[in-house]
Amino acid sequence: MSNLNDSVSFVLDDKVVTEDFRNSALRPTTTVLNYLRSLPLHKGVKEGCAEGDCGACTVVLGELQPDGTLRYESVDSCLLFLPMIHGRQLITVENLKNDRGELHPVQQAMVETNGSQCGYCTPGFIMSLFSLYKNKNHPSREEIDDSLTGNLCRCTGYKPIIEAAATSCVHHGMDQFSRNEPQIASLLKSIPRESLQLQTGQQLYLRPAKLSEALSLIRLHPEAFVICGATDVALRVTKKHEILKEIIDISGVEELKLISDKPDVLSIGAGVSLSDAMGSLENNFPALYEMLNVFGSQQIRNVATFGGNLGTASPIGDTLPVLIAYNAKVVLSNSAKRREVSLDEFVVGYRKTARRPDELITAVVLPKMRNGSIVKSYKVSKRKDLDISTVSGGFRIDLNDRQVVENIKLAYGGMAETTKRALNVEKFFVGKPWKREVVEEAMQIFDGEFSPISDARAGAEFRTIAARNLLLKFWSETIS
Amino acid sequence: MKPLTPHESASKHVSGEAVYIDDMLVNEQLLVGRVVYSPHAHARIKSFDFSEAKKIPGVHAVLSHKDIPGHNQMGPVVKDEFCLAQEKVICIGQAMFLIAAETEELCLEAERKIKVEYEILEPILTIEKALEENSLLGPPRKMNRGNPDEALKKAPHVITGRLYTGAQEHWYLETQVCLCVPGEGKEINVFSSTQHPSETQSLIAEVLGIAKNEVVVEVRRMGGAFGGKETQGNHAACWAALLCWATKRPVKIRLFRDDDQRITGKRHRFLSRYEVGFDEEGKILAAKYELNSDGGCATDLSFAIMERAMLHVDNAYFVPNISVVGKVCKTNLPSNTAFRGFGGPQGMAVAETVVDRIARSLGKDSAEIRQKNFYGLDANNVTHYGETVENNRLFLIYDQLMKSSDYWNRRKDVEAFNAKNEFFKKGLAVTPVKFGISFTTTFLNQAGALVNVYKDGTILVNHGGTEMGQGLHTKMQQVAAAEFGVRLNRVKVNATNTSKVPNTSATAASAGADLNGMAVKNAVDILKGRIAEAVAQIFTEKNPNPPTKKEDVIFQDDMILDMMHPERKIAFADAMPLMQLRQVSLSATGYYKTPNIGWDKEKGWGRPFHYFAFGMCVSEVLVDVLTGLHTLLRTDILHDVGDSLNPGIDLGQVEGGYIQGVGWCTTEEIKWDDKGNLLTHSPDTYKIPSVQDIPKDFRVELLENVPNPNTIRRSKAVAEPPLMLALSTWLAIKNAVSAVVDHEIEPEFSLPATNEVIVLSVEDLKKRSIQKRAPEFSPAK
Ligand SMILES: Cc1cc2nc3c(=O)[nH]c(=O)nc-3n(C[C@H](O)[C@H](O)[C@H](O)COP(=O)(O)OP(=O)(O)OC[C@H]3O[C@@H](n4cnc5c(N)ncnc54)[C@H](O)[C@@H]3O)c2cc1C
Ligand code: FES
Ligand code: FES
Repeated sequence: MSNLNDSVSFVLDDKVVTEDFRNSALRPTTTVLNYLRSLPLHKGVKEGCAEGDCGACTVVLGELQPDGTLRYESVDSCLLFLPMIHGRQLITVENLKNDRGELHPVQQAMVETNGSQCGYCTPGFIMSLFSLYKNKNHPSREEIDDSLTGNLCRCTGYKPIIEAAATSCVHHGMDQFSRNEPQIASLLKSIPRESLQLQTGQQLYLRPAKLSEALSLIRLHPEAFVICGATDVALRVTKKHEILKEIIDISGVEELKLISDKPDVLSIGAGVSLSDAMGSLENNFPALYEMLNVFGSQQIRNVATFGGNLGTASPIGDTLPVLIAYNAKVVLSNSAKRREVSLDEFVVGYRKTARRPDELITAVVLPKMRNGSIVKSYKVSKRKDLDISTVSGGFRIDLNDRQVVENIKLAYGGMAETTKRALNVEKFFVGKPWKREVVEEAMQIFDGEFSPISDARAGAEFRTIAARNLLLKFWSETIS
Repeated sequence: MKPLTPHESASKHVSGEAVYIDDMLVNEQLLVGRVVYSPHAHARIKSFDFSEAKKIPGVHAVLSHKDIPGHNQMGPVVKDEFCLAQEKVICIGQAMFLIAAETEELCLEAERKIKVEYEILEPILTIEKALEENSLLGPPRKMNRGNPDEALKKAPHVITGRLYTGAQEHWYLETQVCLCVPGEGKEINVFSSTQHPSETQSLIAEVLGIAKNEVVVEVRRMGGAFGGKETQGNHAACWAALLCWATKRPVKIRLFRDDDQRITGKRHRFLSRYEVGFDEEGKILAAKYELNSDGGCATDLSFAIMERAMLHVDNAYFVPNISVVGKVCKTNLPSNTAFRGFGGPQGMAVAETVVDRIARSLGKDSAEIRQKNFYGLDANNVTHYGETVENNRLFLIYDQLMKSSDYWNRRKDVEAFNAKNEFFKKGLAVTPVKFGISFTTTFLNQAGALVNVYKDGTILVNHGGTEMGQGLHTKMQQVAAAEFGVRLNRVKVNATNTSKVPNTSATAASAGADLNGMAVKNAVDILKGRIAEAVAQIFTEKNPNPPTKKEDVIFQDDMILDMMHPERKIAFADAMPLMQLRQVSLSATGYYKTPNIGWDKEKGWGRPFHYFAFGMCVSEVLVDVLTGLHTLLRTDILHDVGDSLNPGIDLGQVEGGYIQGVGWCTTEEIKWDDKGNLLTHSPDTYKIPSVQDIPKDFRVELLENVPNPNTIRRSKAVAEPPLMLALSTWLAIKNAVSAVVDHEIEPEFSLPATNEVIVLSVEDLKKRSIQKRAPEFSPAK
């Protein structure tokens, strides 16, 4: 790698901070949460779970945009490794008061609505509210709820916090951060964007800036963990206390963050955050959009990627069934060539994929749909939001003008050790009219398709019944 | 409504300046403490060896039960809980060893090097199995009135059934944490997240084998508690104290979330049985209840919790003939403990199930049956334990709420919707809450305070209660300011500290403000008496004719004045230096005990409660019968807090308590595997309500103009009762489920009503309805 950088720099408290891992207690996999809490003046940020589920650790990252402005995004600092914020502004709850020591509008509103009781969740909520404040003026209730889904509060029942959001996010995002933006932007510009190579006694953390570098690195380090958003991999560190020896962090590769929208296909770079992807999906791929709407929380979606969701090949990965239904393809590349694999063939076993060791997922390609095809997605989970699927479904149907099934795809998550299609049921439907009786007949043969497990989320019986019921639901939502 | 007085720490909360134990700056000598716990639900410890662990550089102590200098005991009521396991382990999560090291990683490394050999024994993991083997933590409790057996025989209708209500994890955002700092000699300073500092102090003294006056426990604030830190905050405190003692260095233990969920006790799950007789109108004539709780592996507060469940199995309904039996099962799970409501929810869930079933079986609306069975204003107003329901607000609340929620019209809309929709059903329900306020262990109803006034006119209030978010300190600040007639910011409430106010009761049973408020008032009254006497002298020295009488000296608007001669006055702050010159003590302790309560636990008869808190809730839900997904469409709550000390805070308690109850009733499901491993040990699988789960339309009101006699500023306790309002949500879901078969069949239902319970219940109803319609095809029984 050229121009290697052996330290991480970011802006904190309006200054560029540079951390070098050689002579400190920090490791490259120290989380931003633990880093902040090791400082005497940043203990406002709290750990509630260390797994991205409670939001007590929420901070906001400011990221320089091509036009020189900053974009503000909430993230869970418990799942972010320190090098991942290289070149960004790290904003914590302590930064929100203005120079005169006055509370920020979102803080003031929380005081006035009694939005805090025990106060432990509050710094996290404040940061989610701050991100909302910067991004939405007069947010709707849905937007407020969405921005707060990743923050759990056990005391208040949320009502006053929603009210605080509604009453404070009304100044077009204007505050001292807006006034300071040019200054912060120039600080951020001063941080070199080269690749990072961080070596400590136990760990090697590589953060290439270019795809070509990334591809040669994975060849050189076949044992390394590839991370992009790290929302999956970080749990190994925060929950299982593993020490990851080699890491290749591809979140700094700009080429993976491209979205290309052509008349017949949409291609989304593997490094595009789910939040960013949603904007381009809403119109043409509503079922995928809907699925992402209930995927994790805003903090998670702001960093999690398609590449990561496919990379886990998890049987409960939420994008897989819908992507199968949309006949999507995964783009796999190595240093020499690029190939496309249909999603159906991508997952080959329990958490195993068709990706070869020297390849990276570089994009997901979604063909646009022709008239007459309908795709729907379903997620059955104990809690509606920020929960992992008990059962999920991505269904596609092509009906002819006599309402006879020409083609059907029924892809399920949570029903087997991989995402799996109900192939016999699909076969049964083809050539039959799309009628209730037929669907009910199909439900009779459904049970033979899967033998799901019982686990912490649900019993096998429930999984089977719910999965079978989804057929009826799909039918009821697709009849004209 | 805008709160007049926000939480005293609100601006510190929102700016991140509020200091919790984990945020305290400690010098670099601080060690990280870790508890190593049992991986087996039931096993004999054949041998253990931690010599390798001790050798790791940076590991400063590894302790077992043999290293405990005092008693190996941390049972709060009954001494049946070892601090560290001795010969056997009796649940997964039971503490076995303690480690102190320079970093968390070293602790983990040391833990991996500890070797233990076990002989695995058969565990008891369910209430059913415990009952079968008669594994109980103590003899069954009984209450009885009238002759239920006779009355059941004569009753026109009888229903019998069983109800399973699940456990609940507290999920305070701040996990259990304690920091101990050694002092000189035997002194130890303890910063603990505990609802019961005095008990924490006692138990630390006991495990260390030192006197209580060597131990100081301080609690600034907790990041939530909900009962989970009433006794079980003591555990981390005892462990940290032992490590601090062994290393002579500051030690902090903060549990990882998953460890906290695995180690600590939960709300007791209950398996209850009922047999209830009623007439054609739906009036309850007789009931026999059997409540069985899962106490876990040790007693903790399980009997007090069972008692409260038995005292609330009537909820708001008069039952002339009744018997209640309560059994606390001993199982190989972590000892279950206090949780907001303290058995009340489990008792009331039975009462509400019964009324709901009566309504369904008679084809009537359950609201009607409820109202018919309410305790009367003048007659039928004595509970099954002999306490008269005074100041009964049930009818007042019912009338107002049924009107404001537009219940009857909405019932019609719900029915119309259900008639039109096959895959979605709506449900509607109203449920009342009548909750007794006082510790049922009568002597606990006492509190102390220490109030200091300083020469600059500022006031420092110490009281025995702890702040866990409920706003107790804010209320105490308000009480002191109001009683002294000074502006609020003259008063600061100190961190709770056992060296300031000793021998306190836990901050629990919703009684924190009632008890401590009165104690603060008592201290302020004493100080005012002293100040008034001196000020009367000062006024009289200036104007002898006529002299100022001390009874005429009043405190208002930050002034002290003679009410007969209002021109004689002095600013509060100006008067205080004079007090010191005149040798008047500006420090006083206050004390309070609740009057006129007392009851015979053996007979189950008397007056356990100072008064009752009332509330009611109407919930409407939408259920997707294919997936079990449910949405809370609208909730209307009307709740009684007397003359509120702080409406903003009280509304917060009502809303927050209700939502916590919604969690218990819907998505919070706790599962263990067949070895006693907790499966739902993190927020990944244990789902408390998120912002998306609250009612789309959420209307909460406090009942107006209902002062409560004989309490601090005519207020009422608020913390626990609202949790049980959520039973209306649970029954609304059941109402929607039963709409699948036009309410003709009683659904199989348990609590929580997860999507799984809903879908399985719907499947079951559909099957039974086919059998009902075609009895000839039903399989022979
Ligand atoms: C609180 C929380 C909520 C969640 N909610 C959901 C949910 O609702 N639905 C759901 O499906 N998942 C959920 N997840 C799981 C996870 O967030 C997703 O799988 C996410 O898409 C992973 O993306 P990432 O970029 O963060 O992955 P990473 O953690 O960076 O990587 C995940 C895996 O993919 C591999 N990988 C990443 N990028 C590439 C690439 N370009 N090429 C090859 N391999 C790659 C990595 O090596 C790793 O094995 C949740 C996780 C958390 C912590
Ligand atoms: S600590 Fe809970 S989300 Fe980070
Ligand atoms: S205020 Fe206590 S968890 Fe939110």
